[in-house]
Amino acid sequence: MPTAVEYEALWLSLKVATAATFFSLPLAMLAAWLLARTRFWGRSALDAVVHAPLVLPPVVVGYLLLIGLGTRGPIGAWLDQTLGIRLIFTTSGAVVAAAVMSFPLMVRAIRLSLEAVDSGLEWAARTLGASRLDAFVSVTLPLMLPGIVSGCIVAFASSLGEFGATITFAANIEGETRTLPLAIYTAIQTPDGDRVALRLVMLSLALAVGALALAEVADRRVRRILGRP
Amino acid sequence: MTRLPLLAICVIAMILTAGPRAVAAPPALMVYAASSLTTALDELAPRFAAQTGVRVKTSYAASSTLARQIESGAQADVFVSADDAWMDYLDVRSRIVAATRVNILGNTLVLIVPADHPVTVVLKLGFDLAGLLGPGRLATGDPAHVPVGRYARQALTALGVWDVAQPKLAPAESARAALALVERGEVPAAIVYETDALLSHRVRVAGVFPAGSHDPIVYVAAVVAGRDRPIARQFIEFLTTPAARTVFTRLHFIVR
Repeated sequence: MPTAVEYEALWLSLKVATAATFFSLPLAMLAAWLLARTRFWGRSALDAVVHAPLVLPPVVVGYLLLIGLGTRGPIGAWLDQTLGIRLIFTTSGAVVAAAVMSFPLMVRAIRLSLEAVDSGLEWAARTLGASRLDAFVSVTLPLMLPGIVSGCIVAFASSLGEFGATITFAANIEGETRTLPLAIYTAIQTPDGDRVALRLVMLSLALAVGALALAEVADRRVRRILGRP
Repeated sequence: MTRLPLLAICVIAMILTAGPRAVAAPPALMVYAASSLTTALDELAPRFAAQTGVRVKTSYAASSTLARQIESGAQADVFVSADDAWMDYLDVRSRIVAATRVNILGNTLVLIVPADHPVTVVLKLGFDLAGLLGPGRLATGDPAHVPVGRYARQALTALGVWDVAQPKLAPAESARAALALVERGEVPAAIVYETDALLSHRVRVAGVFPAGSHDPIVYVAAVVAGRDRPIARQFIEFLTTPAARTVFTRLHFIVR
């Protein structure tokens, strides 16, 4: 049976992935909307920045986070001095790393679903007197729900597996940033750690299967809500 | 527009063919060494290559990482570990040629702080580690496996402050990674090897751990099992020649 420390790694992974997905969602929706529905100067630059974590090696993203958000980095120093927030060595840092790495996946899924929504429907709602916000909330949003759900699932799954950026930026601290992948890595390094590593791999597998099953349930729910088979 | 793919193919083809040509040369010697040896071996490897005509390829990481890789069949010829434990680990698994095993160097364990922090700590029983760290963490190798972390745990236990240190530890992947955390100012202090500390201008040594507070730091070299070529043994011998010793001494290693 897995030990308390191993369950702690599992719990931490779930916590980090959930928080990363939760905080990414509003920003990802904004980015998706900007990229799908608007034309403005610097749009391709935004597109490139959003997609950068997908293209760059995770260790590069971790390093960039480290020099930007580290206690001596320009943003990190400000966060530390004005808000007292430190990201390095903390769970918040692991959340930031996971959120940044999974952000492009979430944006892509949401953007595709938004692009698939016929903007004529929005205009129809507007001609019937709905405000712009009302049209978005009551027409567009429900129609892009499958994309939002799949974006969240993909982001959650990739956050669970995030390793390179986390270990580079947030370090490998038990109970704070040592999520399942980092715990497995540490066990592999440790003499006679194979048993621990195998138990953690089993936990990961169970988690993956569980998450897939939940994703399936969520997907069906959404389809039923939308009246699609 | 139709020319673009063609151009791309040409560029890729040029890149692929422009690389260094494979020349018929003796197979390179693959040396896996503890990360704290990086500077010394980067200097010595080309010299060995110049003497023998055999190219030396190096791979630096925590001794634990390297030992695990060698155990799993990594193509290493020579392994240099920063402690006895990881060499023993490979020895009992018959992954090294035991007869070639030799202690080549020693090192000193020190407490470092950022260079702009003028503090000196006398590392004696019950010294004020909590006061030094404040809200920050103490970086060193992960005591579960990285040699420098193991030595650090022994020393802090002997000095009666391990209970203070353990919850504030920032376990790093290697001795060099722990050093980098102080260089970037992410931690107020770290425990590393003196040789690493002296290489960096951004850190300074605040205190030296008494030699008796931890196992002697030894660098052990051996030829990897199944890779016992004369050139591999020659490389280990080379590390104990006067020329190599001069380099190690300059970098403040303890030469035996």
